[in-house]
Amino acid sequence: MEGRPADDSELIARAQRGDSAAYEEIVQRYQQIAFRTAYVITGSAADAEDAAQEGFVKAYRALDRFRLGADLRPWLLRIVANEARNRVRSSGRRHQLELRLTEGFRPGDAAPSPEAVAIAADERRRLLAMVNALSEEDRLVIASRYFLQLNGEETAAALGIPEGTVKSRLSRALARLRARVEEAASA
Amino acid sequence: MPDLEEQLTAMSVAIEWPPTPALRPVLSRPARREGWGLWRLQTRWALAAAAVLLIVATLLAYTPSRDAIAGWLNLHTTILRTPNQPTPSPLPSGPLGERLGLGSPTTLDGARSQVRWKIEVPSSLGRPDAVYVKLPPTGPSGGEVTLVYAQRPDIHAYGVTGVSILVTEARGKTNEIYFQKMLGQDATLEPTTVNGHAGYWIAGSPHQFVFTDADGNIYSDTLRLATNTLIFDNNGTIVRIEGDMTKSQALEIASSLS
Repeated sequence: MEGRPADDSELIARAQRGDSAAYEEIVQRYQQIAFRTAYVITGSAADAEDAAQEGFVKAYRALDRFRLGADLRPWLLRIVANEARNRVRSSGRRHQLELRLTEGFRPGDAAPSPEAVAIAADERRRLLAMVNALSEEDRLVIASRYFLQLNGEETAAALGIPEGTVKSRLSRALARLRARVEEAASA
Repeated sequence: MPDLEEQLTAMSVAIEWPPTPALRPVLSRPARREGWGLWRLQTRWALAAAAVLLIVATLLAYTPSRDAIAGWLNLHTTILRTPNQPTPSPLPSGPLGERLGLGSPTTLDGARSQVRWKIEVPSSLGRPDAVYVKLPPTGPSGGEVTLVYAQRPDIHAYGVTGVSILVTEARGKTNEIYFQKMLGQDATLEPTTVNGHAGYWIAGSPHQFVFTDADGNIYSDTLRLATNTLIFDNNGTIVRIEGDMTKSQALEIASSLS
Protein backbone atom coordinates (compact mmCIF):
# COMPACT_ATOMS: atom_id res chain seq x y z
CA MET A 1 0.00 0.00 0.00
CA GLU A 2 1.43 3.38 -0.96
CA GLY A 3 2.44 5.57 1.95
CA ARG A 4 2.15 2.73 4.45
CA PRO A 5 5.09 2.70 6.87
CA ALA A 6 7.10 -0.49 6.45
CA ASP A 7 6.70 -2.95 9.30
CA ASP A 8 9.71 -4.20 11.26
CA SER A 9 10.05 -7.53 9.47
CA GLU A 10 10.00 -5.80 6.10
CA LEU A 11 12.68 -3.35 7.22
CA ILE A 12 14.79 -6.13 8.74
CA ALA A 13 14.59 -8.20 5.55
CA ARG A 14 15.70 -5.19 3.52
CA ALA A 15 18.49 -4.35 5.98
CA GLN A 16 19.70 -7.95 5.88
CA ARG A 17 20.03 -7.59 2.12
CA GLY A 18 22.34 -4.62 2.74
CA ASP A 19 19.82 -1.77 2.47
CA SER A 20 21.30 0.73 4.94
CA ALA A 21 18.36 3.14 4.47
CA ALA A 22 16.08 0.45 5.90
CA TYR A 23 18.33 0.12 8.94
CA GLU A 24 18.42 3.88 9.39
CA GLU A 25 14.63 3.77 9.55
CA ILE A 26 14.87 1.11 12.26
CA VAL A 27 17.30 3.33 14.19
CA GLN A 28 14.94 6.30 13.91
CA ARG A 29 12.04 4.16 15.04
CA TYR A 30 13.77 2.79 18.15
CA GLN A 31 16.40 5.36 19.08
CA GLN A 32 14.26 7.02 21.75
CA ILE A 33 13.40 3.87 23.68
CA ALA A 34 16.97 2.57 23.24
CA PHE A 35 18.49 5.82 24.52
CA ARG A 36 16.10 6.02 27.49
CA THR A 37 16.72 2.39 28.41
CA ALA A 38 20.46 3.03 28.35
CA TYR A 39 19.90 6.18 30.41
CA VAL A 40 18.04 4.25 33.09
CA ILE A 41 20.98 1.82 33.28
CA THR A 42 23.88 4.28 33.13
CA GLY A 43 22.27 7.32 34.78
CA SER A 44 24.18 9.52 32.33
CA ALA A 45 22.87 11.00 29.09
CA ALA A 46 26.34 11.03 27.51
CA ASP A 47 26.99 7.38 28.38
CA ALA A 48 23.48 6.46 27.24
CA GLU A 49 24.08 8.10 23.88
CA ASP A 50 27.36 6.23 23.44
CA ALA A 51 25.77 2.95 24.49
CA ALA A 52 22.79 3.38 22.15
CA GLN A 53 25.03 4.39 19.27
CA GLU A 54 27.37 1.44 19.78
CA GLY A 55 24.42 -0.90 20.38
CA PHE A 56 22.87 -0.02 17.04
CA VAL A 57 26.22 -0.58 15.30
CA LYS A 58 26.56 -4.01 16.94
CA ALA A 59 22.97 -4.90 16.09
CA TYR A 60 23.63 -4.02 12.45
CA ARG A 61 26.66 -6.31 12.38
CA ALA A 62 24.57 -9.08 13.95
CA LEU A 63 21.60 -8.71 11.60
CA ASP A 64 22.32 -12.06 9.95
CA ARG A 65 21.69 -13.73 13.29
CA PHE A 66 18.30 -12.07 13.80
CA ARG A 67 15.51 -14.60 13.33
CA LEU A 68 12.90 -13.25 10.93
CA GLY A 69 9.48 -13.22 12.57
CA ALA A 70 10.88 -12.56 16.06
CA ASP A 71 10.20 -9.27 17.86
CA LEU A 72 12.77 -6.67 16.93
CA ARG A 73 12.35 -4.32 19.90
CA PRO A 74 13.45 -6.69 22.70
CA TRP A 75 16.34 -7.92 20.53
CA LEU A 76 17.59 -4.34 20.01
CA LEU A 77 17.02 -3.38 23.64
CA ARG A 78 19.00 -6.41 24.81
CA ILE A 79 22.01 -5.35 22.72
CA VAL A 80 21.83 -1.68 23.75
CA ALA A 81 21.29 -2.57 27.43
CA ASN A 82 24.28 -4.95 27.35
CA GLU A 83 26.37 -2.14 25.92
CA ALA A 84 25.15 0.21 28.67
CA ARG A 85 25.98 -2.33 31.40
CA ASN A 86 29.43 -2.90 29.91
CA ARG A 87 30.07 0.83 30.01
CA VAL A 88 29.06 1.03 33.67
CA ARG A 89 31.28 -1.96 34.46
CA SER A 90 34.32 -0.69 32.55
CA SER A 91 34.11 2.82 34.02
CA GLY A 92 33.67 1.30 37.49
CA ARG A 93 31.15 3.98 38.32
CA ARG A 94 27.41 4.30 37.93
CA HIS A 95 25.87 7.74 37.96
CA GLN A 96 23.01 8.04 40.40
CA LEU A 97 19.83 7.96 38.31
CA GLU A 98 17.69 10.92 39.36
CA LEU A 99 14.40 10.91 37.52
CA ARG A 100 12.52 14.18 37.48
CA LEU A 101 9.05 15.29 36.52
CA THR A 102 8.30 17.66 33.69
CA GLU A 103 7.29 21.02 35.12
CA GLY A 104 3.67 21.92 34.58
CA PHE A 105 2.59 18.42 33.54
CA ARG A 106 -1.14 17.84 33.92
CA PRO A 107 -2.49 14.41 33.06
CA GLY A 108 -5.86 13.87 31.43
CA ASP A 109 -8.14 16.17 29.48
CA ALA A 110 -10.15 17.48 32.39
CA ALA A 111 -9.42 20.92 33.75
CA PRO A 112 -9.12 20.42 37.52
CA SER A 113 -8.91 23.30 39.97
CA PRO A 114 -5.48 24.86 40.59
CA GLU A 115 -5.49 23.39 44.12
CA ALA A 116 -6.15 19.87 42.82
CA VAL A 117 -3.37 20.27 40.24
CA ALA A 118 -0.93 21.42 42.91
CA ILE A 119 -1.82 18.50 45.22
CA ALA A 120 -1.50 15.93 42.40
CA ALA A 121 1.85 17.38 41.31
CA ASP A 122 3.08 17.28 44.88
CA GLU A 123 1.98 13.64 45.26
CA ARG A 124 3.78 12.66 42.06
CA ARG A 125 6.95 14.43 43.18
CA ARG A 126 6.86 12.65 46.53
CA LEU A 127 6.26 9.27 44.88
CA LEU A 128 9.09 9.82 42.41
CA ALA A 129 11.42 10.82 45.25
CA MET A 130 10.56 7.50 46.92
CA VAL A 131 11.32 5.60 43.70
CA ASN A 132 14.64 7.45 43.41
CA ALA A 133 15.45 6.46 46.98
CA LEU A 134 14.90 2.73 46.36
CA SER A 135 17.79 0.34 45.86
CA GLU A 136 19.26 0.29 42.39
CA GLU A 137 17.72 -3.11 41.62
CA ASP A 138 14.24 -1.96 42.64
CA ARG A 139 14.55 1.39 40.89
CA LEU A 140 15.67 -0.22 37.63
CA VAL A 141 12.82 -2.70 37.44
CA ILE A 142 10.18 -0.06 38.30
CA ALA A 143 11.62 2.48 35.86
CA SER A 144 11.79 -0.11 33.08
CA ARG A 145 8.31 -1.49 33.60
CA TYR A 146 6.34 1.68 34.40
CA PHE A 147 8.30 4.72 33.22
CA LEU A 148 9.73 3.19 30.04
CA GLN A 149 6.56 1.12 29.63
CA LEU A 150 8.51 -1.98 28.61
CA ASN A 151 6.65 -5.28 28.59
CA GLY A 152 7.89 -8.32 30.51
CA GLU A 153 10.07 -9.65 27.69
CA GLU A 154 11.58 -6.22 27.03
CA THR A 155 12.20 -5.57 30.73
CA ALA A 156 13.96 -8.93 30.95
CA ALA A 157 16.05 -8.02 27.90
CA ALA A 158 16.91 -4.59 29.30
CA LEU A 159 17.89 -5.91 32.73
CA GLY A 160 19.60 -9.05 31.43
CA ILE A 161 17.51 -11.38 33.60
CA PRO A 162 14.92 -14.09 32.85
CA GLU A 163 11.32 -12.97 32.43
CA GLY A 164 10.25 -14.94 35.50
CA THR A 165 12.79 -13.03 37.60
CA VAL A 166 11.31 -9.74 36.34
CA LYS A 167 7.94 -10.71 37.86
CA SER A 168 9.34 -11.63 41.26
CA ARG A 169 11.72 -8.66 41.36
CA LEU A 170 8.94 -6.26 40.38
CA SER A 171 6.62 -7.69 42.97
CA ARG A 172 9.22 -7.23 45.73
CA ALA A 173 10.10 -3.70 44.53
CA LEU A 174 6.42 -2.67 44.53
CA ALA A 175 5.95 -4.11 48.02
CA ARG A 176 8.88 -2.06 49.32
CA LEU A 177 7.64 1.09 47.58
CA ARG A 178 4.11 0.56 48.90
CA ALA A 179 5.47 0.19 52.44
CA ARG A 180 7.29 3.53 52.10
CA VAL A 181 4.17 5.23 50.73
CA GLU A 182 2.07 3.91 53.63
CA GLU A 183 4.73 4.87 56.15
CA ALA A 184 4.82 8.43 54.79
CA ALA A 185 1.01 8.63 54.82
CA SER A 186 0.79 7.58 58.46
CA ALA A 187 3.63 9.88 59.60
CA MET B 1 -6.37 7.14 46.00
CA PRO B 2 -5.45 5.34 42.79
CA ASP B 3 -3.62 2.05 42.92
CA LEU B 4 0.16 2.37 43.17
CA GLU B 5 0.74 0.67 39.81
CA GLU B 6 -1.77 3.00 38.15
CA GLN B 7 -0.01 6.01 39.66
CA LEU B 8 3.37 4.81 38.39
CA THR B 9 1.98 4.14 34.92
CA ALA B 10 0.35 7.59 34.81
CA MET B 11 3.69 9.16 35.74
CA SER B 12 5.42 7.70 32.68
CA VAL B 13 4.29 10.61 30.51
CA ALA B 14 5.45 13.14 33.09
CA ILE B 15 9.05 11.92 33.41
CA GLU B 16 11.53 14.45 32.15
CA TRP B 17 13.94 12.44 30.01
CA PRO B 18 17.09 13.96 28.56
CA PRO B 19 16.52 14.86 24.90
CA THR B 20 17.05 11.87 22.63
CA PRO B 21 20.07 12.50 20.41
CA ALA B 22 19.82 11.80 16.68
CA LEU B 23 21.78 8.57 16.43
CA ARG B 24 23.71 7.99 13.25
CA PRO B 25 25.61 4.74 13.65
CA VAL B 26 28.43 4.22 11.16
CA LEU B 27 27.34 1.07 9.39
CA SER B 28 29.70 -1.52 8.02
CA ARG B 29 28.80 -5.15 7.84
CA PRO B 30 30.55 -8.07 6.17
CA ALA B 31 28.72 -9.32 3.09
CA ARG B 32 26.11 -11.93 3.89
CA ARG B 33 27.40 -15.48 3.60
CA GLU B 34 25.38 -18.05 1.68
CA GLY B 35 26.62 -21.07 3.60
CA TRP B 36 29.98 -22.48 4.62
CA GLY B 37 30.70 -24.29 1.34
CA LEU B 38 30.48 -21.17 -0.74
CA TRP B 39 32.36 -19.19 1.90
CA ARG B 40 35.22 -21.69 1.89
CA LEU B 41 35.30 -21.70 -1.90
CA GLN B 42 35.36 -17.90 -1.95
CA THR B 43 38.10 -17.85 0.67
CA ARG B 44 40.21 -20.29 -1.36
CA TRP B 45 39.85 -18.19 -4.50
CA ALA B 46 40.61 -15.03 -2.54
CA LEU B 47 43.79 -16.57 -1.08
CA ALA B 48 44.92 -17.77 -4.51
CA ALA B 49 44.27 -14.34 -6.02
CA ALA B 50 46.13 -12.65 -3.17
CA ALA B 51 49.12 -14.96 -3.70
CA VAL B 52 49.21 -14.21 -7.46
CA LEU B 53 48.95 -10.48 -6.79
CA LEU B 54 51.78 -10.67 -4.25
CA ILE B 55 54.06 -12.46 -6.73
CA VAL B 56 53.24 -10.01 -9.53
CA ALA B 57 53.75 -7.03 -7.20
CA THR B 58 57.12 -8.41 -6.08
CA LEU B 59 58.26 -8.96 -9.66
CA LEU B 60 57.10 -5.52 -10.73
CA ALA B 61 58.82 -3.87 -7.79
CA TYR B 62 62.18 -5.29 -8.93
CA THR B 63 63.45 -3.25 -11.92
CA PRO B 64 65.26 -6.05 -13.89
CA SER B 65 62.26 -8.39 -13.66
CA ARG B 66 59.91 -5.53 -14.54
CA ASP B 67 61.94 -4.88 -17.71
CA ALA B 68 62.03 -8.60 -18.47
CA ILE B 69 58.25 -8.85 -18.17
CA ALA B 70 57.89 -5.87 -20.46
CA GLY B 71 60.23 -7.60 -22.92
CA TRP B 72 58.27 -10.89 -22.80
CA LEU B 73 55.06 -9.06 -23.42
CA ASN B 74 56.70 -7.04 -26.15
CA LEU B 75 55.80 -3.83 -24.39
CA HIS B 76 58.33 -1.31 -25.48
CA THR B 77 57.22 1.15 -22.93
CA THR B 78 58.29 1.82 -19.41
CA ILE B 79 56.03 0.61 -16.64
CA LEU B 80 55.63 3.53 -14.28
CA ARG B 81 54.46 3.21 -10.73
CA THR B 82 52.16 5.99 -9.70
CA PRO B 83 51.82 6.21 -5.95
CA ASN B 84 48.27 5.92 -4.69
CA GLN B 85 47.07 8.98 -2.86
CA PRO B 86 45.61 7.98 0.46
CA THR B 87 41.86 8.52 0.58
CA PRO B 88 40.92 10.51 3.65
CA SER B 89 38.40 8.86 5.94
CA PRO B 90 34.95 10.28 5.33
CA LEU B 91 33.98 12.61 8.13
CA PRO B 92 30.45 12.53 9.48
CA SER B 93 28.12 15.14 8.09
CA GLY B 94 26.85 17.84 10.43
CA PRO B 95 28.72 20.14 12.78
CA LEU B 96 32.23 19.13 13.86
CA GLY B 97 32.14 16.98 16.97
CA GLU B 98 28.43 16.28 16.64
CA ARG B 99 28.86 12.69 17.79
CA LEU B 100 30.89 13.47 20.87
CA GLY B 101 27.88 14.09 23.10
CA LEU B 102 28.93 17.64 23.91
CA GLY B 103 25.40 19.01 24.08
CA SER B 104 23.48 21.16 21.61
CA PRO B 105 25.31 22.85 18.75
CA THR B 106 25.26 26.62 18.87
CA THR B 107 27.45 29.62 18.03
CA LEU B 108 29.80 31.51 20.28
CA ASP B 109 27.26 34.30 20.64
CA GLY B 110 24.51 31.72 21.18
CA ALA B 111 26.52 30.07 23.96
CA ARG B 112 27.22 33.45 25.56
CA SER B 113 23.51 34.19 25.69
CA GLN B 114 22.77 30.88 27.44
CA VAL B 115 25.25 31.06 30.32
CA ARG B 116 25.78 33.78 32.90
CA TRP B 117 29.55 33.56 33.10
CA LYS B 118 32.29 34.72 30.76
CA ILE B 119 33.33 32.23 28.09
CA GLU B 120 36.99 32.64 27.29
CA VAL B 121 38.34 31.79 23.84
CA PRO B 122 41.99 30.92 23.14
CA SER B 123 43.22 33.43 20.56
CA SER B 124 46.09 31.14 19.53
CA LEU B 125 43.58 28.69 17.97
CA GLY B 126 41.49 31.27 16.13
CA ARG B 127 37.73 31.00 16.04
CA PRO B 128 36.34 27.62 17.08
CA ASP B 129 34.98 25.47 14.25
CA ALA B 130 31.98 24.43 16.34
CA VAL B 131 30.48 25.36 19.71
CA TYR B 132 28.26 23.25 21.95
CA VAL B 133 26.39 24.06 25.10
CA LYS B 134 25.11 21.57 27.65
CA LEU B 135 22.62 22.85 30.20
CA PRO B 136 21.01 21.11 33.20
CA PRO B 137 19.70 18.48 33.68
CA THR B 138 22.24 16.79 31.36
CA GLY B 139 24.93 19.42 32.01
CA PRO B 140 26.30 20.82 35.27
CA SER B 141 24.45 23.66 37.00
CA GLY B 142 25.49 26.88 35.30
CA GLY B 143 25.92 24.99 32.03
CA GLU B 144 28.97 23.77 30.15
CA VAL B 145 30.37 25.17 26.91
CA THR B 146 32.71 23.28 24.57
CA LEU B 147 34.73 24.91 21.79
CA VAL B 148 35.66 22.41 19.08
CA TYR B 149 38.62 22.80 16.76
CA ALA B 150 39.46 20.90 13.59
CA GLN B 151 43.05 20.34 12.47
CA ARG B 152 45.48 22.93 13.86
CA PRO B 153 49.23 23.19 13.11
CA ASP B 154 51.24 20.46 14.85
CA ILE B 155 48.19 18.97 16.55
CA HIS B 156 46.78 15.74 15.24
CA ALA B 157 43.08 15.55 14.35
CA TYR B 158 41.20 12.33 14.99
CA GLY B 159 40.22 10.65 11.74
CA VAL B 160 36.84 9.43 12.93
CA THR B 161 35.62 12.81 14.17
CA GLY B 162 37.98 15.29 12.51
CA VAL B 163 38.42 16.97 15.93
CA SER B 164 41.88 17.95 17.15
CA ILE B 165 41.20 20.05 20.25
CA LEU B 166 38.34 20.49 22.70
CA VAL B 167 38.24 23.41 25.11
CA THR B 168 35.50 22.83 27.69
CA GLU B 169 34.44 25.40 30.29
CA ALA B 170 32.04 25.12 33.22
CA ARG B 171 31.55 26.94 36.50
CA GLY B 172 32.79 24.92 39.44
CA LYS B 173 35.80 23.72 41.36
CA THR B 174 38.28 20.97 40.67
CA ASN B 175 38.45 18.22 43.22
CA GLU B 176 41.72 16.35 43.05
CA ILE B 177 40.64 13.55 45.38
CA TYR B 178 37.71 12.65 43.15
CA PHE B 179 39.24 12.92 39.74
CA GLN B 180 42.53 11.26 40.70
CA LYS B 181 40.50 8.16 41.55
CA MET B 182 38.75 8.29 38.19
CA LEU B 183 41.88 8.53 36.06
CA GLY B 184 42.79 4.88 35.96
CA GLN B 185 46.22 3.34 35.54
CA ASP B 186 46.80 4.57 32.00
CA ALA B 187 47.01 8.23 32.98
CA THR B 188 49.29 10.31 35.21
CA LEU B 189 48.42 13.48 37.08
CA GLU B 190 50.90 16.33 37.48
CA PRO B 191 49.97 19.45 39.46
CA THR B 192 50.92 22.57 37.51
CA THR B 193 50.33 26.31 37.44
CA VAL B 194 48.42 27.86 34.57
CA ASN B 195 48.29 31.64 34.25
CA GLY B 196 48.91 31.83 37.99
CA HIS B 197 46.05 29.43 38.79
CA ALA B 198 46.21 25.88 40.13
CA GLY B 199 45.89 23.24 37.44
CA TYR B 200 46.71 19.69 36.46
CA TRP B 201 48.39 18.15 33.46
CA ILE B 202 46.98 14.68 32.81
CA ALA B 203 49.08 12.62 30.43
CA GLY B 204 47.90 9.33 28.97
CA SER B 205 44.36 8.27 28.24
CA PRO B 206 42.04 9.64 30.92
CA HIS B 207 38.36 8.95 30.35
CA GLN B 208 36.49 10.60 33.20
CA PHE B 209 36.70 13.93 34.95
CA VAL B 210 34.82 14.77 38.12
CA PHE B 211 34.32 18.24 39.54
CA THR B 212 32.08 20.14 41.92
CA ASP B 213 29.65 22.28 39.94
CA ALA B 214 28.34 25.74 40.82
CA ASP B 215 25.65 24.28 43.12
CA GLY B 216 28.09 22.01 44.94
CA ASN B 217 26.97 18.85 43.13
CA ILE B 218 29.56 16.30 42.08
CA TYR B 219 29.44 16.22 38.29
CA SER B 220 31.13 13.53 36.24
CA ASP B 221 32.03 14.21 32.63
CA THR B 222 33.55 12.06 29.92
CA LEU B 223 36.83 13.23 28.45
CA ARG B 224 35.79 12.75 24.84
CA LEU B 225 39.19 12.53 23.19
CA ALA B 226 40.70 10.35 25.98
CA THR B 227 44.09 11.97 25.46
CA ASN B 228 46.43 14.45 27.18
CA THR B 229 44.39 17.02 29.07
CA LEU B 230 45.19 20.27 30.84
CA ILE B 231 42.69 21.21 33.56
CA PHE B 232 42.77 24.41 35.55
CA ASP B 233 40.69 26.81 37.56
CA ASN B 234 40.23 30.11 35.76
CA ASN B 235 38.57 32.48 38.24
CA GLY B 236 35.80 30.06 39.17
CA THR B 237 35.53 28.47 35.74
CA ILE B 238 37.07 25.06 35.20
CA VAL B 239 38.78 24.94 31.82
CA ARG B 240 39.74 21.65 30.16
CA ILE B 241 41.94 21.55 27.09
CA GLU B 242 41.98 18.11 25.47
CA GLY B 243 44.04 17.08 22.47
CA ASP B 244 46.95 15.05 21.20
CA MET B 245 49.46 17.72 22.26
CA THR B 246 52.40 18.34 24.54
CA LYS B 247 52.14 20.12 27.87
CA SER B 248 53.86 23.22 26.47
CA GLN B 249 51.39 23.35 23.55
CA ALA B 250 48.48 23.10 26.01
CA LEU B 251 49.98 25.82 28.24
CA GLU B 252 50.42 28.08 25.22
CA ILE B 253 46.74 27.63 24.32
CA ALA B 254 45.75 28.30 27.95
CA SER B 255 47.83 31.49 28.10
CA SER B 256 46.01 32.87 25.06
CA LEU B 257 42.58 32.61 26.70
CA SER B 258 40.76 35.92 26.86
